[in-house]
Amino acid sequence: MGTKSYFFKSFAIVALALVAFIGFKQILPDKIFSESKLDSKNVLIDSLLLESVAEDSLALDNDSISEEDRKLNRQKIVYDETGGIEFPSETFENYKGYQYLIHFYEKLYQLEKNPQAKVRIAYYGDSMTDGDLIVQDVRANYQERFGGNGVGFVSITSESAASRGSVKSKYSKNWKAQSYLNVKKPTSPFGVNGHVFFANDHSNPTWVQYEAGLNKYSTSLDNATLFYGKSSKKGSVNFIIGKDTLKKSLLPNNLVNTLKVSSGSIKSFKANFIHADSIPIFGFNFDNGVGVHVDNFSQRGNSGLPISIFDANVMQAFNANLKYDLVILHYGTNVLNYGTKNYSWYEKGMTKAVNKIKESFPGVSILIVSTADKSTKYDLEMKTDSAVVPLMKAQKKYALETESGFVNLYTLMGGDGSMVKWVDEAPAKANKDYTHFNQRGAKAIGKLLYDQLNKGYEEYKILREKRDSGSKQGTVRKSRPDSVSVKSDSL
Amino acid sequence: MTTIESINNWFIENFGAITMEKVESWFVYNPDEKLLFNTGLFLGLFLVFYFVYGFLRKTFYLRLTYVILFSLFFYYKSSGIYFLLLLLSSVVDYGLSQIIYKESKDNVKKIYLVISVILNLGLLGYFKYMNFMIGTYNDMFNGNLKFHDIFLPVGISFYTFQSMSYIIEIYREEIKPTKNYIEYLFFVSFFPQLVAGPIVRAKDFLPQIYQKLNLTREDVNNALFLIIGGLIKKTVISNYISVNFVDRVFDTPLSYTSFENLMASYGYAIQIYCDFSGYSDMAIGIALLLGFKLPANFRTPYKSTSITDFWRRWHISLSTWLKDFLYISIGGNRSGSFAGYLFPSLFFFGLLLWGISNYNESVIPLLVAGISILIFCLSFLLSSKRKQTLVTNFNLFTTMLLGGLWHGAGAQFIVWGALHGLALAVHKIFMELFPSKKDQKPNFLWRFFSIVITFHFVVFCWIFFRARDFETALQVINTIGQLTFEPELWKTIVIGYKNVFGLMLFGYVWHFLPETVTNGMKSVFDKTPILVKAIILGFVYWIVYATAVAGSQPFIYFQF
Repeated sequence: MGTKSYFFKSFAIVALALVAFIGFKQILPDKIFSESKLDSKNVLIDSLLLESVAEDSLALDNDSISEEDRKLNRQKIVYDETGGIEFPSETFENYKGYQYLIHFYEKLYQLEKNPQAKVRIAYYGDSMTDGDLIVQDVRANYQERFGGNGVGFVSITSESAASRGSVKSKYSKNWKAQSYLNVKKPTSPFGVNGHVFFANDHSNPTWVQYEAGLNKYSTSLDNATLFYGKSSKKGSVNFIIGKDTLKKSLLPNNLVNTLKVSSGSIKSFKANFIHADSIPIFGFNFDNGVGVHVDNFSQRGNSGLPISIFDANVMQAFNANLKYDLVILHYGTNVLNYGTKNYSWYEKGMTKAVNKIKESFPGVSILIVSTADKSTKYDLEMKTDSAVVPLMKAQKKYALETESGFVNLYTLMGGDGSMVKWVDEAPAKANKDYTHFNQRGAKAIGKLLYDQLNKGYEEYKILREKRDSGSKQGTVRKSRPDSVSVKSDSL
Repeated sequence: MTTIESINNWFIENFGAITMEKVESWFVYNPDEKLLFNTGLFLGLFLVFYFVYGFLRKTFYLRLTYVILFSLFFYYKSSGIYFLLLLLSSVVDYGLSQIIYKESKDNVKKIYLVISVILNLGLLGYFKYMNFMIGTYNDMFNGNLKFHDIFLPVGISFYTFQSMSYIIEIYREEIKPTKNYIEYLFFVSFFPQLVAGPIVRAKDFLPQIYQKLNLTREDVNNALFLIIGGLIKKTVISNYISVNFVDRVFDTPLSYTSFENLMASYGYAIQIYCDFSGYSDMAIGIALLLGFKLPANFRTPYKSTSITDFWRRWHISLSTWLKDFLYISIGGNRSGSFAGYLFPSLFFFGLLLWGISNYNESVIPLLVAGISILIFCLSFLLSSKRKQTLVTNFNLFTTMLLGGLWHGAGAQFIVWGALHGLALAVHKIFMELFPSKKDQKPNFLWRFFSIVITFHFVVFCWIFFRARDFETALQVINTIGQLTFEPELWKTIVIGYKNVFGLMLFGYVWHFLPETVTNGMKSVFDKTPILVKAIILGFVYWIVYATAVAGSQPFIYFQF
């Protein structure tokens, strides 16, 4: 006996415990806290996505997928010329589709020549772009180079209004909001932002208030304009700017109507809606009328599929006012978590959504932004979720099929395992949910996006110059062999 | 043949194939995988170490050297080449302590003491506060000094304080120095408490080195009970709720509802307690297995009935260190000193400046500053022993400010310390004006409300402690301020995070269990045979394994 030998008993306990652990490991399950399925009623997620997932029950054979993949990756994409411009061919693996952005590039080119022109981008997204993350950086990059002032179109209410710094908005609690996320048949068609709002409180005032943020190029609210829809009854609105109150009436005769709050730039204003209960309200637009403007249409929980229920007539009416040149669709985060790696259903659904965009905004260029990297725990390690690459490929496929440009955010941010790095590095660029970027990361993503788009634009300018000098040479050769008329060509 | 092969297969299945690379990774520093007590690698290494340690129990210098080597290896695994810094600072401190001990003239002694304090704090200051100071300078004077690329050696705040306690105690002639450098290095580098405390005092620890090494059944029972509790607190409760909930909310508070922000604040309170006390418990338990008794570091702090009580129960080794070496050094409750007046004055001056500079946007900062100063002044003006209370409160406030700064280089830690310092002063004047009757036990309701109020004040202060910066802290507080009663929404959120909220509830229930219940559990555990203890411990290993999330999160107190 004796106390001394207790060292070995103590050792024995710790060592035996290890044996017991191995035993437990064999008989007990792998994880204690399994990820239980959430009741979808309580989660912000679009209803079309849930339906599509429910319908999709067939999983394809894995081998055939990878075989198909290999073929696809080698596939060469050769473009037909558009307006005499033909981007070099590329592989599916590195598909960017600059060819399909020519409309947008040409408009940028015109803007560069004539600073009084304007270019407008609609940026549709999910929670990744909440609070104007990423989009405000894309916007700033464009406005820095091409000019333009203002944050673009802003909704009435938004669950992320509090976290948005580029424009501050507050609103009364009595707005009735309908979103394309979970309403299929709205009382009145959705606006370009996928929402429609009603000020149908008779006893209390229904109001919204905007104040310019501190971001460069959006420190004032320029040409604030209200957008509202069609209704049989009239209403009115009071705009309160500083100490002045402007009473204006709402004449809801067209599908989309506009009402200017004030010309010129103001810092803030409040809008009180009076007897306007049946008039669909969409939001306000803030832009100075020249340069580039980027509208952020973000919606948490959105897969992108709800775009297909847009009313094309209403969208065309919006387009008549706002004149979009590029539509960006940045989705994917919300379709990663359904245990499926077969995204053919999503491809189908998104193809429909893209076609709806084409119908709504005739001639517009479309850019698909793929899902970013997202990590999940496998055994003890955080790794790239196994659904990320299949989803990114599906997105690339429908981008190609619908003749849209493509940004592969997954590879741009570093590919496999990059999200873990973005989260862990100091200072961190992404949040601990291993899905969303923080301010710093969003800024980096915005720059990566802009850089790829801009690279395409620079290539476009070179190709354009070649075309012009080529055609000039051609015409010149036919008529006169000298080069007197060179100067006038660029006009 | 088949048996060997099947054993081999079984082994690979359970432990993975052992390759040269893998073996190398066990012994080479990897900044991404620190050697924490709750990792499998530590368990493996410790088992081998402990087996040999048992045989060396009767030796002295051989055993000390053996533990030192393991400790240095342990530190190398956490901080790489910086284990040399630990060695270097220990050589210098040991040399200075010898000189101080041998010197007879008080003035000369004092000079050497000052040199050693400056060296230690200078080291800590460079590694921990350099960039903070550069940042502050740049902000204040619009400078653009470059930040230094500084690696913060793990546990530097802990071992620097431990070293300082040794020298100051020698200067105060409370202890005799060790006979040689080996013994001293053993004390400073002892791996159980090396990187995250408790901060062991020389006068508690050194006598144990010279005692005959002994380990009783009771010691082992205590050690295992502490280790089991520590493992569950640290790896199950703390890690799980931080990664899966609290971190996310504090990353972007505005993206979450008021209720989630509130729950994240409660969550962080139990997380930091479980993280820190769990790791301390493991350290104390492991030290106990080696035959060394370290003092308790936490005594269920959220049961405190006042903020003064809280600081007697929270991170006890730090608060007693600060009391003995900082608070008393600057005058304690007897006399004022330059340092004692300087820091509070600077703080309140800064607060006032902040209030004035924000006056154009909002009057609230100035109000906050004014009220804080008023409260602080009232805390001694209302006292009957005005002069003594003034001195005490200034010194106490200094201690809390610097104590806050010790936890991290950032304004939010100073604010955290200031809030606690202010609360301590308020509590003192409250006790003086409304003394509790000595012979009468406070009634249940009074006690209940005291605990609830103290707890909520502590949670409020944690928001500043946890938030990335001051602005984020205000966002969390603002969001919580907009809380409305919406039981349906709350229910949805609770169901959505049911694992997290379940663990939080478990943590709080465990924390608030009456002591009789925990003691009962302990005595049942003590009585079980060795085999059952091993099975219980093995089961806890499994729980740890099964909840392990994303490797081991770095322990949040490490880099302080």
